[in-house]
Amino acid sequence: MRHLKSVLALTLITCLCASMAFAVEGNSRKGKFLYRKHCRTCHGVNASDLSPSSKVQADWKKLYANMGTIPCQKDWGAISDADKKDIFSYLHEFAKDSPTPASCQ
Amino acid sequence: MTTSATSRPGRRAFLKGMVAGGLLAACPVQTAGAPSSAPVPVPTETVFTTCDMCFNRCGVAARVTGQGKERRILKLDGNPHCSKSRGMLCARGNAAIAMLDPAERLTTPLLRTGKRGENKWKSISWEEAYTLMADKLRGIARDHTPCGMLFTPGADTHSQFVKRFAEAYGSFNVTTHESLCLLSGHRAFMDTFGEVPQPDLLHCDYAVMLGANRFEALVMPDTADAMQAMRRGAQLIVLDPRPTKTARLANEWYAIRPGTDLAFLLAVAHVIIHENLYDRAWVEAHTTGLEQLAEHVRSCTPQWAAAETDIPAEAIIRIARGLAAAAPRSMIYPGRRTSDYVDSTQIRRAFAIVNALLANYDRKGGLMSTPAVALKGYPLDAPWYDHNQEDRVDAAMAPMLFKAEGAFVLTREAILAGKPYPVKGWFLYKTNPLGTAPDRARTLAMMEKLDFIVCMDVQLSDTAFMSDLVLPAPFYLERDDPYFVVQGGPAGPAVMTRSAVVPAPGQCKPAFEVMQELARRLDLADCFNFSLAELKARQEAGLPGLKEATAEKGLLELDVPLYGLRAGQPFKTPSGRIELFSQQYADKGLDPMPVYQTPAKAPQDRPFRLVAGRSAAITQSASTNNPLLFELEPGNTLDMAPEAATALGLRDGDMVRVTSSVGEECLRLAVVPGMRADTVYMHTGYGGLSPARKRVHGVGGSIVALQESAADAICGNSAIHTTYVRVTRHTETV
Repeated sequence: MRHLKSVLALTLITCLCASMAFAVEGNSRKGKFLYRKHCRTCHGVNASDLSPSSKVQADWKKLYANMGTIPCQKDWGAISDADKKDIFSYLHEFAKDSPTPASCQ
Repeated sequence: MTTSATSRPGRRAFLKGMVAGGLLAACPVQTAGAPSSAPVPVPTETVFTTCDMCFNRCGVAARVTGQGKERRILKLDGNPHCSKSRGMLCARGNAAIAMLDPAERLTTPLLRTGKRGENKWKSISWEEAYTLMADKLRGIARDHTPCGMLFTPGADTHSQFVKRFAEAYGSFNVTTHESLCLLSGHRAFMDTFGEVPQPDLLHCDYAVMLGANRFEALVMPDTADAMQAMRRGAQLIVLDPRPTKTARLANEWYAIRPGTDLAFLLAVAHVIIHENLYDRAWVEAHTTGLEQLAEHVRSCTPQWAAAETDIPAEAIIRIARGLAAAAPRSMIYPGRRTSDYVDSTQIRRAFAIVNALLANYDRKGGLMSTPAVALKGYPLDAPWYDHNQEDRVDAAMAPMLFKAEGAFVLTREAILAGKPYPVKGWFLYKTNPLGTAPDRARTLAMMEKLDFIVCMDVQLSDTAFMSDLVLPAPFYLERDDPYFVVQGGPAGPAVMTRSAVVPAPGQCKPAFEVMQELARRLDLADCFNFSLAELKARQEAGLPGLKEATAEKGLLELDVPLYGLRAGQPFKTPSGRIELFSQQYADKGLDPMPVYQTPAKAPQDRPFRLVAGRSAAITQSASTNNPLLFELEPGNTLDMAPEAATALGLRDGDMVRVTSSVGEECLRLAVVPGMRADTVYMHTGYGGLSPARKRVHGVGGSIVALQESAADAICGNSAIHTTYVRVTRHTETV
């Protein structure tokens, strides 16, 4: 029984992750503004250590689905869920394997 | 990636072996028009800068004499330290000196006082110009949102400040010249390789050029590399409906039927795959979709392609085998302008796919990965405007737009329709859509939909002529620019400098200064909170050796690896591999592999396909009016095959009337042996509207007045080889 629950829980988590992984549908243009406002202060200012083109789209999706694993999450303060979605939408849309990878700025 | 100021002696010394040593010496110069008995002025100083007469950005050594008001440039030479340009400077580069004559230039802000096109202007002060612009831009943002302004920056280094201003102002509608030129090729290679590679013609042993005319439409270092490679025995195969100089100098030339490149390429893939001529281990390790591709090209036999292309099947087989035998030092040359057909992205996908089968990526003599070189800058914190549109005005008009570039032809349609929202203002900097975009009448109609048009340029271009406010920009020899990166293929990347050699005439102001002041007046000063000198200092601080190298040589050539850059790394594609089969295309309802369609037959009353190209002496409309270059290209002709001319009863030199579905132009006929009988050609940049460009105003025919409007179905790039024309004798006295 315990084993079954574990399997169900794992399945549920996997499904949840999968659905979240494909839910990066925020406003990417606003996400760019929010990224600059909230993230760039730490993540460099130009040709930074982190930009949309640091990762491929699949990795941004995974990260969005597992935001708890992001080391700096504790520094995010009161960024709303809607704003987070916009930021990840920006990161995803301009990922390095996207049709339009981000340039330095 | 780490970089250093140390040049690698082997590579660059080899390249510089081509440069005549005499270029290093500043020789006495005979200036044009000087009487032969007059003392020959001698340059007292050499200033290194970077040419801006076209996109190539070749190093320049300006030979200068005098000081203060007496300071003048006697001659321009190639910078012997510049490996990318081999120390050379072409006719256009040399002719830049003629642009310093104030009589050729805009020297003060001009406000239109009559109707557009009436050529009635009054000079105004910069203060008046700034006040007007600030009022108009504020009003458009208020009434139509910031996206109500369209921005069209040019390609020079100051264009980045126009883009920066547009973002600060809040407009997503930035449309560049690239969407009239090269985006289909970029789209195709991005979606196949995950980047746009550079050709290494220098070390290539077997290259096929489809439509590219590298010995006239100069691209450095490709032009020099192809010449040098041929000298050591490399094979060049050219497919072109015209007998270009490149075609004439090639080892083999085939006058391919226009619009059938894809059939040729699919047949080449057929031969390589079905004769097992590819490096199976490399292809299997680096690509995805080989099985689907093999099935896709199974029926694309050389015999099938021969009937489509007019290239004999035996030749197609021989070329495919030649490419495969020389691989990986062989290539389908990617080319530059790719704005040909509505399926140009798919055609260029086939370029990329055949190159993948040649296993030439990131290898010497093949397609090179582009080394990453980043220069420091000032980050932009643009405001967010809740009162704005959701996206670009052309966002929904092509499935895979480049969002930073847009698509001019599609944007124009959106503005004409007023949908999805109205655009009412236009700011242009050093670009001339009325001279470069197809269907000039449609661009004029679009301009009639706009309430306010500002055009900043060095001359009264056709677009400036039809604008409301014209701003005088300095020419490159009068301007300080930020440092910028050029990629030189096998010559490696370099950081270039561009400094004012002589002062600008009249009241010319650089774009940086104009955009900064306009931003200040719109309460956006925070977005331009630095000076050009501070920006350059930051760039210098971020790249040790930059300041010293540019002071000494005019550039810093970076010693970085050029081959094997991506070894062991995934490609920047969704699959992490070279995508012969594109799942993302399939997901968007696009053909995942290029599907050939036989071109539609020419209309009965317009039997000739009109194709475009470039001469070595002109760069579109930007340089045709140059007095020195006009001596070399004094107008354009309609090039036609002898048999076609004979059938029409026309002879070389006759005046002809050329009629398309959108326009009619008159110019002289040139009978060109070797042309395909179903194809005609004319240079771009003539038959201009602006009387200020007096040499080309009404001289020759305007190709953009004839070209019909069409766009690449995937990325929206202009498609300028889709026009058919009728040619008749022009009987009026000329």
